[in-house]
Amino acid sequence: MTRYQHLRNLIVLGVAVLVLAFVPHPLSVYLRSFLLFTMMYVVLALSWNIISGFTGYTSFGHVAFYGIGAYACAILVADYGWHWLPTLGVGAVLAAAVAVVIGYPVLRLKGPYFAIAMLGAAEGTRVVATVWDSLTHGGLGISLPSAETSMETYYAMLVLMVVTIVVAYAVGHSRLGIRLNAIREDEVAAEALGINATLYKLTAFTLSAMFPAVAGGIQAYKVLYIDPPAVFFVQITIAMALMSMLGGKGTVIGPIVGAVVLYSAQELTWVNFPTAHLIAYGLFIVLVARFMPRGLMGFAIDRGWARKGMVH
Amino acid sequence: MNQRVDEAPGREPLSRPVAPPAAASVVAPSPVAGRGKERSEVRSLYLLAAFLVCAYTLPFFVGLWYGTVRADERWLAYLATVVISGILQGGVYAMFAVGLTLIFGVMRIINAAHGEMVMMGAYLTWVSFFFLGVDPLLALTFTLPIAFLFGLAVQKLLLNAVVGAPELTGLLITFGLGLTMIYTVELIFTTDFRTIPYAPGTVQLTSTIAVGQNRVISFAMAVVISIGVYLFLKLSRLGKAIRATALNAEVAMVCGIDVRRIYLITTGVAAALAVAGGALVSIQFGFNPETGVLYTLQAFAIIILGGRGHYVGAFIGGLMLAVLESLVSLMVPNGTAMVELAAYGLMIFVLLIRPGGLMGVKEG
Amino acid sequence: MDGCTFAVPHGRISGFIGPNGSGKTTTFNLLTGIALPDAGEVLYRGENIAGLRPYQIFRKGITRTFQITRIFREMTVLENMLSVTGLGVPDRVARERADELIAFVNLTHLRAEYGGRLSFGQQKLLEFARALMTDPDLILLDEPAAGVNRTLLQHLLDHIHRLQEQGKTIVIVEHDMNVIMNHCERIFVMDYGVKIAEGPPAEIQRDERVIEAYFGRRRAASART
Repeated sequence: MTRYQHLRNLIVLGVAVLVLAFVPHPLSVYLRSFLLFTMMYVVLALSWNIISGFTGYTSFGHVAFYGIGAYACAILVADYGWHWLPTLGVGAVLAAAVAVVIGYPVLRLKGPYFAIAMLGAAEGTRVVATVWDSLTHGGLGISLPSAETSMETYYAMLVLMVVTIVVAYAVGHSRLGIRLNAIREDEVAAEALGINATLYKLTAFTLSAMFPAVAGGIQAYKVLYIDPPAVFFVQITIAMALMSMLGGKGTVIGPIVGAVVLYSAQELTWVNFPTAHLIAYGLFIVLVARFMPRGLMGFAIDRGWARKGMVH
Repeated sequence: MNQRVDEAPGREPLSRPVAPPAAASVVAPSPVAGRGKERSEVRSLYLLAAFLVCAYTLPFFVGLWYGTVRADERWLAYLATVVISGILQGGVYAMFAVGLTLIFGVMRIINAAHGEMVMMGAYLTWVSFFFLGVDPLLALTFTLPIAFLFGLAVQKLLLNAVVGAPELTGLLITFGLGLTMIYTVELIFTTDFRTIPYAPGTVQLTSTIAVGQNRVISFAMAVVISIGVYLFLKLSRLGKAIRATALNAEVAMVCGIDVRRIYLITTGVAAALAVAGGALVSIQFGFNPETGVLYTLQAFAIIILGGRGHYVGAFIGGLMLAVLESLVSLMVPNGTAMVELAAYGLMIFVLLIRPGGLMGVKEG
Repeated sequence: MDGCTFAVPHGRISGFIGPNGSGKTTTFNLLTGIALPDAGEVLYRGENIAGLRPYQIFRKGITRTFQITRIFREMTVLENMLSVTGLGVPDRVARERADELIAFVNLTHLRAEYGGRLSFGQQKLLEFARALMTDPDLILLDEPAAGVNRTLLQHLLDHIHRLQEQGKTIVIVEHDMNVIMNHCERIFVMDYGVKIAEGPPAEIQRDERVIEAYFGRRRAASART
């Protein structure tokens, strides 16, 4: 992309950030929460996309990192009296460490087996959180003391979203992104072209683990109560995956669009049909996987509304 | 000038016409490459066996550490009970894992909704027990055909389109299907746990070992059904057609086998097996819409351990997983929660050590 | 492969021939680290590269193309070119080089097209161009002529010769005898994983064992008479 196009994108992002920065003040608490969670899902979907969309290693267990971040924040704030902001950093580092430890063996597995392994990893983390109650209060969950206004978490999430978008954009439009795509396309050929697949995969995986962790931390401080089932909720992984797939795996705008569209739709239907909307979720995955594997962005590219490829 | 090449390759360096220094050369004092497969094959089997031994003794060590293990006769009898109980349960696990392995073997699709089919079987049985007053085992006579039809529908509507596709697509679609099933059932039945009181008595095996009657009955049924399906696959024409398709669908097509029909039947049978498993499980344990998730995980672990696509392997895997789970739940504190970790851990280690499982080839 | 020893001459074009299944592609796989030898060494510039990972071998200056093209189908032609690592040059320079090579294989008009949408011949060209991005010293071509029309083939061969004149070493695995006999200085013949002959084209054409391997004993016998 030319420098002009990068600049243009930056301006668009800047405008959006300004809008989001000023908009919450007159709004109700509910709407503020809505925006916050939309931003959170943008972060989650973009992160998931880095390992699953770009690199092609579909992870069904990313919620594990989200949960780790949530617990890091909750434990440090509730039990050790930390201020919540530094706990986010701890969560990110912890998630990165876990990603490296789990990632090294698990990234050796191929496609669906990696997905299943990650699913198991997420469930495993949930079990650990439930069982290790000396640390995590087990099934009782952790209540956090409230000291924030709803604005602090909002802005934190906004900042996180901007950072995530910038990072995802930088990765996607660079040679790093091309190499991750190459690994997705044909790992053997990629290695034959000098790409150290293990290193690149692990890097992408670790990177994709850190942002959800921070998001989890922010969310914990906002909701003020977490317990294992709430935080290691399989739905969150599904949401990440679905949003990314719907918008277009492997692009940068795709997950953003997917997150906004899906979360809005979900909020609209959830209020009216609490269980039915979950059924719709399931059906939706089936439909998207079956008929729209390349998502909305894929559709747009085919129509010529967007350019092919990420680097021009 | 005639440069005759040495008759015995590789024994001594060749004399060759004057040429610039070699850019690259392959030198082999002894046989080179391409045949190491056999060695690593055996090696990975040993490694897997070693891991399994560790996995099974680990609960004992943990139990010793935490004091849940006692070396007296009563406890040993208890241990024996638990192990035998596990084996009995393994029969049921094996039966529904076989369905999963069939789908994978024939169509290379990983059915993430398999546990939900089991759950569906449990609910069907429950409904027929409480609303129709039918004995759960007798109910099989109509729940199985219903399951078969369900399998046909799933295949026709969803899976046919993804048969040749990368395995991940099948996983995604069935994942969505599973979710849909969970929440549909939840809508109808709520998340309450249900149980079916059936054969509550115990069977006294020895003076100190007794197992639940329902468990013995389930095991017996599972064995009967599994043997039935095994014989069907081995002896009947349709069964042979299924096995042929599993080996190579293209060749099967050329031999005149209607591959589409085989796919339908395979999914139908797999669904029936899952539902049968659900029925047998429903008379032993409580269930709710979400218990299927654990069953799916267990079924995955079983077929990976036993060898994907391998019928007998699924059976062996089922028994082995059930016994391991019994040991874990007995000796490891928080055993019931840890059971899930055991299944997952088993699965992931097998995937890392020997993806083909016990009965498959190294790479599966 | 079974107990082979051979040395490929530096700075020349060499050919590898042999009936199907004789181990030619396996040799390439061994050379590029995709397969691991049970025993023996692979010496490149005096260094044993056996056991190194493919990406490490690539960075030493060895590239290869594949029998069935392995271009990246969901990435554009330009992205295919830029996926190569180890260039050590800034983005702009890499892009220029990519464009040069794309122009060389006449794919400039398809620069922004997905690799998967290219025709078979175009994909082969892309893979060839991609392999040249790092200016490698040893180039292994696995059946470059397969399925390629005459004009394109000539084009390819011209470039191969030009590369050789620049001092590169090229090894070609081929079934097309015209290509091998007319363009390779040294030919290695394999059969059943064993090297059965080695030498300049003229010799190989007369070598009894080679004829036998390709056509069977009777033909060899009749060739002798």
